[in-house]
Amino acid sequence: MSAETILVESLDGRGRVQWRERFTLDEARRTLTVGRSIHADVTLDDPHAAALHASLEIAPDGQVLANDLGSMNGLVVCGKRYRNTGAVALADNMLRVGRTRLRIRTGQELLDPERPDELHPTSLLRHPAWLAGFAALAGCMQLIYAKWLAAPRDLAEGIVTSLGIAILTVGVWVAVWALLSRVVQGEWRWPRHAAICLGVVATLVAVIGLVDLGWFAFALPPWNSRNLWIGAIALGCALYLHLTCASNLTARRAAQIACVVPLLLALGSQWLQERYRVRDVNHIGARTRIYPPEVRLRGSETVEDYFKRTATLRSLADKRLSDALANDPAYDDK
Amino acid sequence: MSRLALIVMAAAVACSPTGAPAQVSATRHSTVDAAASQGAREVLAQVRPAVIQIKSFFGSNTAQASHGTGFAVAEGGVFMTNYHVVAEKVQHPDKYRLEYRAAGGETGAIAVLAVDVRHDLAVVRATGYAPTPLRLEASPPVKGERAFAVGFPLDVGLTITEGISNGKIDDAFEARIHYSGALNAGMSGGPALNAAGEVIGVNVAGYRFEQLVSFLVPAAHAQGLRDRSLDPEPNADLKKEIATQLHAHSADLFAALEGPMQTQAVSGYSLPAKLAPFINCNASGEPMSEDPVQTVRVNCFAKAGLFLQRGLSSGDLRYSHYVLSTDKLDAWRFANRFSGLTLAVGNFGSPRHVGPYACEDRVVGLRGFDASMLVCARRYRRLEGLYDFTVRVSSLNGSKQGFASHLDMYGVEFDAGMKFIRRYVEVMEWKP
Repeated sequence: MSAETILVESLDGRGRVQWRERFTLDEARRTLTVGRSIHADVTLDDPHAAALHASLEIAPDGQVLANDLGSMNGLVVCGKRYRNTGAVALADNMLRVGRTRLRIRTGQELLDPERPDELHPTSLLRHPAWLAGFAALAGCMQLIYAKWLAAPRDLAEGIVTSLGIAILTVGVWVAVWALLSRVVQGEWRWPRHAAICLGVVATLVAVIGLVDLGWFAFALPPWNSRNLWIGAIALGCALYLHLTCASNLTARRAAQIACVVPLLLALGSQWLQERYRVRDVNHIGARTRIYPPEVRLRGSETVEDYFKRTATLRSLADKRLSDALANDPAYDDK
Repeated sequence: MSRLALIVMAAAVACSPTGAPAQVSATRHSTVDAAASQGAREVLAQVRPAVIQIKSFFGSNTAQASHGTGFAVAEGGVFMTNYHVVAEKVQHPDKYRLEYRAAGGETGAIAVLAVDVRHDLAVVRATGYAPTPLRLEASPPVKGERAFAVGFPLDVGLTITEGISNGKIDDAFEARIHYSGALNAGMSGGPALNAAGEVIGVNVAGYRFEQLVSFLVPAAHAQGLRDRSLDPEPNADLKKEIATQLHAHSADLFAALEGPMQTQAVSGYSLPAKLAPFINCNASGEPMSEDPVQTVRVNCFAKAGLFLQRGLSSGDLRYSHYVLSTDKLDAWRFANRFSGLTLAVGNFGSPRHVGPYACEDRVVGLRGFDASMLVCARRYRRLEGLYDFTVRVSSLNGSKQGFASHLDMYGVEFDAGMKFIRRYVEVMEWKP
């Protein structure tokens, strides 16, 4: 028998390798024993395994065979338990001894072809420090612009205060995700999480500003929940990127979470807002911000048309009152 | 509103039958010091038996919720008082009760017969107490005539104050007599008398932080309500009657605002000005301000509001213009500052009384300029057919100037309200 190298790997419940040991089987050692005993070749820290629980060998055709050495729990192969039944061939090279999952790899195993290094979203973060720096710069510019726009008397003080609050908020957010990365992946990944957070925030602010501008330019009717939904989309993007970066979740699972969590939050917020608005009889709704007249791209409607439109206002007000009374018992104090 | 109207409630005690007017007239042309004191004593003695204290109690409490004054206006224990003294009982008859206390210590229950919310009057009937009624002098008092107000200020005992009647207020929407004398909380509903002991008005209100500026409801209105209340078939449903009166008030308010709308020019915009004599307007600005944006504020209010119950007034109208201009800011920064004015909330209301607003917000072409226009309406819960309106108009034509106009109307009819809103916005014009 020529020398054969085998690799014994212990897997956790999610299939991740916890430890691995390399052995060489040759004429001098044809089998490998597995058990709790220190005399076993592969020593397990598993109370459900016998001292010498099983032996492993390689058949001439290269198949891995396992033998139960008279243990109480036997071997579990492909979900089936074997006790003193002689050599059992490991179809997928997987074996359970006690509660320990073992994978036996040999030199004859067929490996999957190398995966192409696709540019999936996280690949954008190959230079996270640069991205974080660029996003931070963009965010600062937006913040300074917003402060400048408000024309306060002490612009510098306003900018410094807002920057301080923004840095603190972003720092806490990034620290939480970096800690998760450290726990799950063993790496802090500060630049990546900073790039994700700053990039999403800078994009969010820019999108909100542009949508505001577009709303004014095209004289669209106000939409109360507009920014809520834009924020939910931004949160979804941030969650997806953070999760794929910090956890072992598959991209699909991360995408599911990134869709469901913001959706639930947005729906919940909208529901709360609606309830609040029903009780807040002084609420007149969000209004479109005003920009310079040169930005306007759509004309106005005539007074005649406007007051034709308001013909339904009475029935709408009546309906809002009856809805409030019907749907919210707390509204009625009688 | 810069000045808070103090609603005053009064109480009185009775002790003897009405005295002869001739006795009072003897003091009318005497000197101020001695004669005034003498006249007050005689007038008080004359009216004392006819004046009662009216107390309102919540539930079965023996501690009063509020108190006011009433005076006899008809045989059979019929008394006049202010509507606001009995408002809670009218609005929540199951939760409040009314009692009277006469000068001789008699007490008993009170029932509300009729109300006139437009003039803040109510007629009540006292069980087991029927003094001789006071005489109502329906003709308006002469300006400068000596007058007296009787009531129970701050629950400290029957009081008479002496002052001067300054006649009817010229620009009041609902008729009021200006009484230059003290009216304090607790005197509401008490009689205001001339030196002959005739009732010229009913104590109703005063300004808390001004000096002796008080108001009376003319006796003619009290006389009208008294006669209506003695109708053999009075309107039993007081709430319906109140709603009817509010509709009439709304119709009269808009009728008084009919005709060409007065405008004023501010920074190139022509905007609604003082629209009727009973509307008060004031304008302000900051000429020395270091703010890069100069603001002119014009506030107008109709003083036509009617008290209905605690936390609910109705039938009023007010509007404000905020005209902004700058020569220091660029168009983007000016527009940002201007945006702040469009975010004002609607006027104050409570879910107990009104429903949520329904709004229509569009960009509308007005005379010479485009404007963002928001009209919101909300319906009253228990006052059928009455609505509140909130209107916000913001000009969109200027890079360096603009205005925001806010119009609020409380408790008015829908069609009349919308018609007025249309007139209000159609008169706005850009005239550089």
